[in-house]
Amino acid sequence: MINTKLICKILGMLLWVEAAFMALCLLMAVCYRESDIKAFAITIGITLAVGFLLRRHGRHASNALSRRDTYLLVSLVWVAFAMMGALPFLIGGYLTSVTDAFFETMSGLTTTGATIMEHVEGLPHGLLFWRSLTQWIGGMGIVLFTIAIIPSFVGGSVMFFSAETTGPVKSKMHPRLTTTAKALWGIYLCLTLACAVFFFVFGMGPFDAMNYAMTITATGGFATHDASTGYFNNSAIEYTAIIFMFLSGISFTLLYTAIFKGKVKRLFKNAEFRFYSVLTLGATAFIVYFLLRDNHYNFPDAIRVALFQVVSFLTTTGMFNEDAAQWHHITWVVLSFCMFFGGCAGSTAGGFKCARGVIALKILRNEMRHLLHPKAVLPVKVNDSTVHSSGQITLMAFFIAYFALCFTAFFIMILVGVDSTNSFTIALSCGSNVGPTLGLEIGPTMSWSILPDFVKWILSALMLMGRLEIFTFLVIFVPSFWKNN
Amino acid sequence: MRVIILGAGAIGAHLADLFSKINQDIVVIDDDEQKLERIQENCDLMTVHSSSNAPIKAMKDAKVGNADLFIAVTRDEYMNLSQCVLAHSLGASRTVAKVENRELTIPQVVNAFSEAGVSSVIDPDNLAALDIVNSLKMTWVRQRWDVHGGALTLLGIKAWEGCEILNIPFKQVFKPDSPYHVVAIKRGNDTIIPTGDDMIKTGDLVYFMTMRENMASMKKLMGKSHYPEVKNVIIVGGGRTAVRVVNMLPDGIRAKIFESDPHRCEELTELVNNDRVMVINADGRSVSNLMEENIKSAQAFIALMGNAEANILACLTAKELGVPKTIAMVGNMDYVGIAGNVDIGTIINKQALTASHIYQLLLDGDVRNIRNLITVNADVAEFTAHPGSRITMKKVRDLGFPVEAELGGLVRNGKGILVNGETMIEPGDNVVVFCHGTPISKIEKYFK
Repeated sequence: MINTKLICKILGMLLWVEAAFMALCLLMAVCYRESDIKAFAITIGITLAVGFLLRRHGRHASNALSRRDTYLLVSLVWVAFAMMGALPFLIGGYLTSVTDAFFETMSGLTTTGATIMEHVEGLPHGLLFWRSLTQWIGGMGIVLFTIAIIPSFVGGSVMFFSAETTGPVKSKMHPRLTTTAKALWGIYLCLTLACAVFFFVFGMGPFDAMNYAMTITATGGFATHDASTGYFNNSAIEYTAIIFMFLSGISFTLLYTAIFKGKVKRLFKNAEFRFYSVLTLGATAFIVYFLLRDNHYNFPDAIRVALFQVVSFLTTTGMFNEDAAQWHHITWVVLSFCMFFGGCAGSTAGGFKCARGVIALKILRNEMRHLLHPKAVLPVKVNDSTVHSSGQITLMAFFIAYFALCFTAFFIMILVGVDSTNSFTIALSCGSNVGPTLGLEIGPTMSWSILPDFVKWILSALMLMGRLEIFTFLVIFVPSFWKNN
Repeated sequence: MRVIILGAGAIGAHLADLFSKINQDIVVIDDDEQKLERIQENCDLMTVHSSSNAPIKAMKDAKVGNADLFIAVTRDEYMNLSQCVLAHSLGASRTVAKVENRELTIPQVVNAFSEAGVSSVIDPDNLAALDIVNSLKMTWVRQRWDVHGGALTLLGIKAWEGCEILNIPFKQVFKPDSPYHVVAIKRGNDTIIPTGDDMIKTGDLVYFMTMRENMASMKKLMGKSHYPEVKNVIIVGGGRTAVRVVNMLPDGIRAKIFESDPHRCEELTELVNNDRVMVINADGRSVSNLMEENIKSAQAFIALMGNAEANILACLTAKELGVPKTIAMVGNMDYVGIAGNVDIGTIINKQALTASHIYQLLLDGDVRNIRNLITVNADVAEFTAHPGSRITMKKVRDLGFPVEAELGGLVRNGKGILVNGETMIEPGDNVVVFCHGTPISKIEKYFK
């Protein structure tokens, strides 16, 4: 049976963690003496109070956490964070609709980066920082963060770890979960700081540098300007962004061995990384060709904007430096393809993941070979380890679930009258946590505010499913989850 | 010399047989009394029965402390290693352990073992796989043994119609400076050390001594020019040897392994780290399965099943289907001769390979290299001629060398030279001797 009391207790504790993050924003607001001081103060109060009530309710909880509890808890944590995180927008009056505020926060936490804000630059600094911070926390995972700082809270349960980390293969870097979580957050922090320093050096203000660094390493995509990185019109900044987006799309475990252990060779031997690089280069070359042919870019510019857009879509960041709406429509197909695949497993990127792509391609190749050699036993090997048939089936199930969800969202959006190209790319964009959409009605640089409220709720759910890799969230809606057996 | 053999299995029995023939003191230890009895019937040696709960007592009974060589060849590799360590601490001067796991033969591990008292480890599967892979490189040769890194080569070749020197006495074919030297002929079950009047007949297995650069003309001489280069190999039976073989395959050779156990097939896919290998879950003894996987395109067929009869029959079937090169693993010593007479290319016997490897350890340091050729019941060995030794005194024809032995060739300053009656052997030469039915120790005297 579901251990409600324990779930409440942990949830309450995590809300206090969120309140601590909000306190940072309050500090920011106080520093800039802007209108959002009140909003944050009240929100922190409410969050602490709700957290306190939940903890009180779960005072004498037994410490047994079942597998079901884990799935339920992880999903609830994300929803609760989004609900509390939406409050500053509402209380401060920057957004009037509950739907919009929830959508915006969920889009932040899941590192999607789709916004319904028409004019970001008008927001106070504290709130802008809060938007970036939600992405930064969500990039690595709320629960993983908690494991790193409060090890006692789940007692080192691997179930939590696997419920929130991405990719088909879940490898720990260290025998102890807490150490693994700390190492992952350490890499994440280093990447973010390095990115911020580079941005600062290339001419961004400290506030912007920090915000962009956080949303780029989280592969989120929220910007502090309406024109995103295009605002700076500085190719050094854009290339920095490209490099850090690309790095954030690599498996952090791999990054750790490559950078901190100096085993760079291992990076290039990794099948997933190779797939990821080939995808980047291939898609860029394709788009460069069409930009040169149709849009009369000069060569360096074409490379820069194409690479930026490809890396941004492939790592599911969703930043932009040019309006891709002006490009040949075939480039949209390539970008959609990038959106679908996403980055490497174990990174902050979303999507289907390159690791799954590699395995899927090998399964396909084996199927062909099987027709010629019906009795052959063909292994699916990735980096010298075999993916057994149970793993292959899980992968196929994931693929089907992913597409079923995207198509359901696609269907509903068409039904309520959203432009068909937009519907398709919005569904894909939310499922993969990318952010921008490609289409005729809403361009990649525009906000999503014109979508109907109903659709926004569905998309919020889709984003959350995309972030938690579908099954963690979807399993809650299976009737037998609630049955007592 | 006192040799103690732990384990009276196939390898142990073969070793006991080899060593007792050269008059060594042999003690065999095993926990199976029936096996010990069987060994004692055939060979002149002592046996000690050990019970599994008192293995150390048996070691002491066998007087391990006085042993010059302790050989552990039981089925259990860790037992072999631990008993070697023990034997060493009891006073055995050299110890050899048989292992099966490839990881136990990497240099780092071997060093660690030798510090603990295991002088050498041998891996029969590895020896067998090496032999198989070597024979794939030259399919027209049944047996090949390189001396001194290939300066000289001993080739065993089966003569069929098409051989250019069939039925011509050697004195008419070969001049003293011919680049080939026939050292032995196996005809039926007899081994002949040839003279000038002998000749090659159809079905003979001829052992040549030659230099590497003459391989191509050798191939033509024996009428083997039509033998193709190996590109595709079919292996039947996915045991440990098969795994070693495919992991050692040179680039450009593709392999298919037939294994009928689906569970083992899964294991094989993990053990094989080679894209050019395909594992097929089917019985390799079935012709239709072989045809389905296009056996006609294969140039070599290797039967590595546990059963010698099945391997021999599978190879004959493959020959029938047109595979030019067949290799069979024959575990049963009694079948080795028969398998050689029927048309099977190369015969692999792990026991004999292991035994000759260990045999080499026993012999004096002057014997650099030795190989037991089971098909002809002979040894080929490489000796170093010492200054002042008998062999350096006279021309070869005047030496009075035993008729059962034949001087094949020598390596002088890294260059291979064939030996004829006029050759004068100089001190420091490495001489290859083919001995049939004469103890190596008798030959050894000539070199001291």
